[in-house]
This record gives sequence, structure tokens and C-alpha cells, in this order.
Amino acid sequence: MYLLAAHWPAAVAVVFLYSVKILIVEDEAPLRTTLLDFLRHSGYICEIAENYEQAHEKIKLYQYDCVLVDLTLPDGSGLDLVRTLKADHSLAGVLIISARGSLDDKVQGLELGADDYLQKPFHLAELNARLRSIIRRRQFQGQRHIMFRDLTIFPDQTLVLVKDQPLTLTRREYDLLLFLLANPNRVLTKEAIAEHIWGDDADMADSFDFIYTHFKNLRKKLQEHGADNYIRTVYGLGYKLETA
Amino acid sequence: MKLLARTNRYYLGLSALLFVLGTGVLYTGLQHALAHEVDEQLQQQRTYLTERIRVTGALPTITMPQELTIDGPTRSESLRDTVIFDPVEHEAVPFRVISFPVTVQGQRHWLTLRKSLLETEDILKVILTVMLAVMALLFGSLLLLNQWLSRWLWAPFRRTLKALRGYQLQQPQSLVLPATPIDEFSELNQAVAQLTQRVAADYRALKEFTENAAHETQTPLAIMQAQLEQLVQDPELPERAVGAVQHVYRAALRLSRLHQALTLLSKIENRQFTDGVPVQLDAVVQEKLRQLQDFMEAKELRLEVGPLAPVSAVMHPGLAESLIGNLLQNAVKHNLPGGLLRVHLRAAALEITNTGPELRTDPMLLLGRFRKHNAASESPGLGLSIAEQICTYYGFRLSYSFIPAGTLHTLRVTF
Repeated sequence: MYLLAAHWPAAVAVVFLYSVKILIVEDEAPLRTTLLDFLRHSGYICEIAENYEQAHEKIKLYQYDCVLVDLTLPDGSGLDLVRTLKADHSLAGVLIISARGSLDDKVQGLELGADDYLQKPFHLAELNARLRSIIRRRQFQGQRHIMFRDLTIFPDQTLVLVKDQPLTLTRREYDLLLFLLANPNRVLTKEAIAEHIWGDDADMADSFDFIYTHFKNLRKKLQEHGADNYIRTVYGLGYKLETA
Repeated sequence: MKLLARTNRYYLGLSALLFVLGTGVLYTGLQHALAHEVDEQLQQQRTYLTERIRVTGALPTITMPQELTIDGPTRSESLRDTVIFDPVEHEAVPFRVISFPVTVQGQRHWLTLRKSLLETEDILKVILTVMLAVMALLFGSLLLLNQWLSRWLWAPFRRTLKALRGYQLQQPQSLVLPATPIDEFSELNQAVAQLTQRVAADYRALKEFTENAAHETQTPLAIMQAQLEQLVQDPELPERAVGAVQHVYRAALRLSRLHQALTLLSKIENRQFTDGVPVQLDAVVQEKLRQLQDFMEAKELRLEVGPLAPVSAVMHPGLAESLIGNLLQNAVKHNLPGGLLRVHLRAAALEITNTGPELRTDPMLLLGRFRKHNAASESPGLGLSIAEQICTYYGFRLSYSFIPAGTLHTLRVTF
């Protein structure tokens, strides 16, 4: 079933050379803690703001690489935070998360200069993939290739090397690999993967079978090139990319 | 029928009735008065003649045989009507006649006095002429008066009507109606203004409600989803818990999708999408087909695209995507393995045809909410409802046709 979520290009992962600082602006305590927990585990340095005032103070005082903004705050609108950031010519990337899902908010947010918009509820893995994509786009001095164990990937050329040997992947296999690389050591649920790949079509009956087939093919290709077996199936749940 | 024409019709009816009644009353009244007058005159003449004969002792000389005759003693005394042929005018003329006896030198004579009555026909003619003239004058002036009144007195009503026609619920300012000195219209304006204010308030409340409901529901769902995703990261999670977590997780996702779909539906119904931009529909079709490629390949569908005319429609881009996406998804989802998917886009219509099992139910029922062909499907079955709502919103027509040969189902959006 098609809703209104638009499709963004598949996220691209980077291996960070230095710590990335993120400000989480979210008023709902349980969500805020989960986000904090999740993003810290993913290797970011995180700070939190519970409301507009706190957030405003922090973005005025400190420099962040990315700000995660909830639009509906008890004492103000997240859109005003985006405005403030842009008025200050901040270099921080902006990712809006909103439960309103109102298209006007999305359009307005992106017009104001936000980098991306994610509608609640979202998959944490998807959030991570989007964050990495924003940060990669912002850090031009950063390394433009991704290294993972025996893999090297040049996202700009959609080139994948296994032990320096080029690997030919289909579009879907490549997307899956990048999504895994954005979330190493994390169980990615089939639902999150399906939504990442097919967006609104994710609830079509066969999508899980496709994921299974695509992963089978991806693994086979990697093994044929002598790569380690780092993609693990988590029974009943999904897949996981193991760092060791 | 116009109010004026209807009033005029009643006026005409009433005047005609009054005219007939008036004519009748006037005629009988007039005739009665005239007859009475003639009778009186005849009686006076009789008294005069009787007196003269008594004094002179002689019968009067007959100068006007039409008016006075003297007969033998055969008559009886009477006052009556009669008709006498007028040799001059060659017609029968009504007369009032009185006969009475006189005695001259011991001998009885019968005197008969006659007086011509005004002819009925003449009276009727006069009355009819006068009445008709009066009626025509009355009715004519009423018409003119009404026309003028309706133009002048009803002007505030027309202004109210015009303001109402131009009124849109989404507009921020409330309806402003010009003041009028006429009580009825000013009451109407007041009632209309109150009504629109109430409706606008309801509309705003509804709009806020949908937005708040979306927010209030999606936030807990976001918390559930995030917590569950964190939970499954725990390697210590016992295996029997995994199944439970997965069920809850899927249910939360399903609920979230359902809620998003319902919110979208109510937003379309509340006409909360106002800004339209020209959208290249052919590009949307191609993009959506590309997204569905995996699913089409899995079913080994034969895709026939074309003609794909460069059609542009002024729509909300999100709604255009949703409309075409839902229709294409429907055609893929309900297709047979190795079936056909045909997409035609012309300036007048978008046609999406797919093979599929014959429907046992009325296909238009599938546009209803939560109607699905396969009840066990996880999809909430709102895709076609959304498509239909979007069509209704933009004034498109969504129709379905079925060709038994090859079991081809076609959904057509006529722009």
C-alpha cells in the first residue's frame, strides 16, 4: 500500500575517522533514551535536549555534526530550530524526525535546509543509514571509501572490492550490503530491510522471500571471491553484519 | 421554477376567480336593480293612467302601440316578462309587461303597459369589458411591480447566495455578508454566518484532531518499534521470547501503517491538500514500475507499457505518487504468475490492466475500506480506497471493467 513516504536514495555508509557529534532533540523520554542508547552504540558522541529551549541553547553554544530534530516540542517548533541553524550558517547536518507526517512539514523542513526527513515510527537502522549518508555528504575531507574487513567500497563509483578483486553485484545486492555496512554488529530485522529497499511496497506479500534470495546470492558471490562469512542470519528475525 | 413565475401564477389564478365571481355578482345585481326600477315605473304609470281615466272618463289615445294597448276583457291582472319581436332591429327584445283593468262608462277594459328592458347581452358586454380591463390593468401592474421588487428587494438574497457559492471551508477568513435592512434577509444572513462559522470551527477541530491523533499515535508506536529493535539486539534474549517480540514488532508495524493510511484518507476527505503543482504522470508511472520491478520479476509478469503520453496533471506530488503506486501495486499483487500487466497513459485516461482470477464480488466493493480479496493478507486493504479518494478529490473518475476472455481486469482513471 502506498502512503506518502517519499523515497530517498539508498544510504551510503562511511567509516568515521573521528568522532561524530550528534544532538538529539526529542521530548518523549522513552524514545530519547532509546535513541541515545542506540546512537552511542553506533559510535556517535551524543547529547540530548528535551525541549526547544535546551536545544536552542545548545545549538547556539556548541558545534555539532548533525542535529536530530523532533518537530513537535512542548515549548516550540523544531522548524524554528532548523531556521536558527541555517541563520547561523551552521555546518551541522539536520535530520527531522516527526510524527505528524504532514507533507507540508516535510516540504517546509526540506526547504528550510534540513537534509532529510524521517517519519515516526522509523527503524533505528534506517535512521542510522540516513545519518551516515548526511554526515558523509557533509564531510568532504573524509575518506570517500568504506572499508570493512576484506571489503572496500567506493560508493561514488558503486564499486565493491573483495581482497582487491572487483565484485559484480546487482542493484539490490549492493543496496543490501550498504545497509548492512551502515549498521554493523546489529540485528537488522527483515521488516527494516524490506522498508529500506522497497519503501511503500515493503508490505507486498513476497518481500521477505526476495530478501532471502538476495542475501543468498550476495553471500554466494562473496564466498566465491573468498570473502569471510560475516553476514549472519539471525533466525526468525533478520540479518547481522559481524565485525569479528 | 422561479419564485416570481410561481407567485405570478397564483396571482393570475386568484384574479381569474375573482373576475368570474365579480362578473356574476355584478350582472345579477345590476339586472335585479334594473328590473326593479322598470317595475316601479310601470306601477307609477298605472296609477297615473287609472287616475286620468277616472277624471276624464275616457280611454287614453294610443300613440305608442308598443307601450300601451287596450284589449277586451279576456286578460287577467299580471306583472310579467315577455319577449317581443322588434321589426326595426329584427330581433327579439325583452319587455316587462303589466296588465290591469279599468272601467270606463260601466264597461271593463284591459290596459297593458310595456317597457323595454335593457338587453342582457348588452349588460354582460359592458360588464365583461370593464372587468377585463380592470383585471388586465391590475395583473399587468402586479407583474411589473413584482419584477421590480424581485430585482430590488431580493438583491441581498442574491448577494448572500453569491457569497455562499464562493465560500471555501479552507479559507482562513469567515464568510462576510453585506448588511440588509430587510429583517428576513438579515436573519438569513445571520443564520448562514453562524452556520459557516460553526462548520469552519468543526473543520478546524477535525483537522487538528487528525494531526494530533497522528502525532499521539505515532509517537508511542515509534517508542515501541525502537525499543523492540533494541531488544532483539540482546544476544541473551531467550529463544521463546524472540517469537513473541517478533509478533509484537510486526503488529506495531502493521498498526503504524494502518494508522498512516487512515490519516491520509481522512486528510484527503477533509480536503487538507490544497497546493497542486503540475506533475508529469508518465514519469511517476515509470518510477513506480521501477520500484515494483522485483515483484514483477518474481511473478514473471509480462509488462506492456505504452502508449505513455507525456501527461501532466495539477496535483499534490505525494498524492499523484500514491494514486499511481496503489493502482500499480494492486495490479501486481493480484496478478497471476506469468500474467500480463499493461499500462496505458493517454491525455484522457490512465489504464492499468492485469490478469487475475475472476472476482466473485462486486468489484466496486473492493474500493471500500478494509475490503480485500484475500482476507488473510497482512495489508490493511486500503490501497484502492486511497486511490479512489484521490480520484474523487481531483474530480477524476475511477472505473473498473472486466474482459472474461483472458480474465483481464482494467482500472481506468479518467482525468
